[in-house]
Amino acid sequence: MNCLDFRREKLADPRRLSTEAQLHVRDCAPCAGFAREIDESEARLAEAFSVRVPEGLADRMLLARRRTGRPRWAPWALAAGVMLAAAVAWNQLQDSPAEHYARLAIEHVLTEPGFLTEVEAGAPAALRTAVEEFGGRINGPIGRIRVVKVCPAGDGRARHIVFETPEGLATLILVPDKRVTSAAKANGKGLSALVQPAPRGHYVIVTDSQTATASVDRLIRNRVEWQM
Amino acid sequence: MKLPGQEDKHFEQVVRAYSADLYRYAYWLCRERFLAEELVQEAFLRAWKGWRTLRDPAATKAWLFTIVRNEYARAFARKRIDIVDVDVYELDIADSRPTVAGVEGMLAALPLAYREPLALQVLGGFSCAEIAAMLHTTEGAVMTRLTRARQALRTHEAGREKQKGAR
Repeated sequence: MNCLDFRREKLADPRRLSTEAQLHVRDCAPCAGFAREIDESEARLAEAFSVRVPEGLADRMLLARRRTGRPRWAPWALAAGVMLAAAVAWNQLQDSPAEHYARLAIEHVLTEPGFLTEVEAGAPAALRTAVEEFGGRINGPIGRIRVVKVCPAGDGRARHIVFETPEGLATLILVPDKRVTSAAKANGKGLSALVQPAPRGHYVIVTDSQTATASVDRLIRNRVEWQM
Repeated sequence: MKLPGQEDKHFEQVVRAYSADLYRYAYWLCRERFLAEELVQEAFLRAWKGWRTLRDPAATKAWLFTIVRNEYARAFARKRIDIVDVDVYELDIADSRPTVAGVEGMLAALPLAYREPLALQVLGGFSCAEIAAMLHTTEGAVMTRLTRARQALRTHEAGREKQKGAR
């Protein structure tokens, strides 16, 4: 093996050198130096590839798996571990979907406390994309966006957004496909939720008080333009 | 054959073992965090559906990475995975994103055709032959892309060192 062959092999797969290459580098000082440089930049490469993984990722994957084979209408309730309550909710859902979506959103927010403590660097851009995919356009600031998460919701994927408002943290959940015809509220477990119709489903605002929810609702209606 | 309870347990072990690297791989494919999570979730759901068809447990990791790749291709059906052999030297990566510093910026600027095999090797620890099988190409083509990607990284780092020296 010559130096050129060694360098080609080292660049293609630094951690798997053939016996020939290992023998070559043992006796060739310039190639040994080259190999050291590659190993050093390989460590930097590995660090760069290792982007931060969202907290609770594996748990959410397992949760999503557990819901497969279950009725598709109640993923949030399943997430909350209240199968029976969800079954009851489904029956009630036939009569008043919006109100029950609001209750399910409260249950969902309670199952994801980690979302209220995380901050993701790319969240503002992710929000813009999520709102656009949902048939809307943001035309002004709505507060500091902390996270944009994806959560299972029926056949689709809801976007779970947490952002800062003067009234404190607010959660906005964009739920695709599940359409409602009018707004509806629900309160419970220290949270207040408001469901509003949207072009491609509905959205839910969840905060810890009715006043804050009403205020965030005004903010969203002012700053997000929906193409109905 | 595993009992249903054992399948559950094995699946959970696999999810816990690989979800982080699969997420990182998905992220470097699509460069969007929330979409990366969605791709991994979809991949695990598909994996669970086909769990009983998995004959060789040693192949689980490669199988999962391939499913994530397929999910990405599905999500971007109109945006075909870039497999064209672009000449990486013509891209002038060191200068193409002057505002994005460091290796992460270089990786972001690298065409997917180069970034993907690199991610599979660095994150997944796969050999050139394994990567070639996953990307449906030849081992030689994978070696060429990996070599060029690392050379681009060296050029980028050398450029930064030069800039530092000039200051």
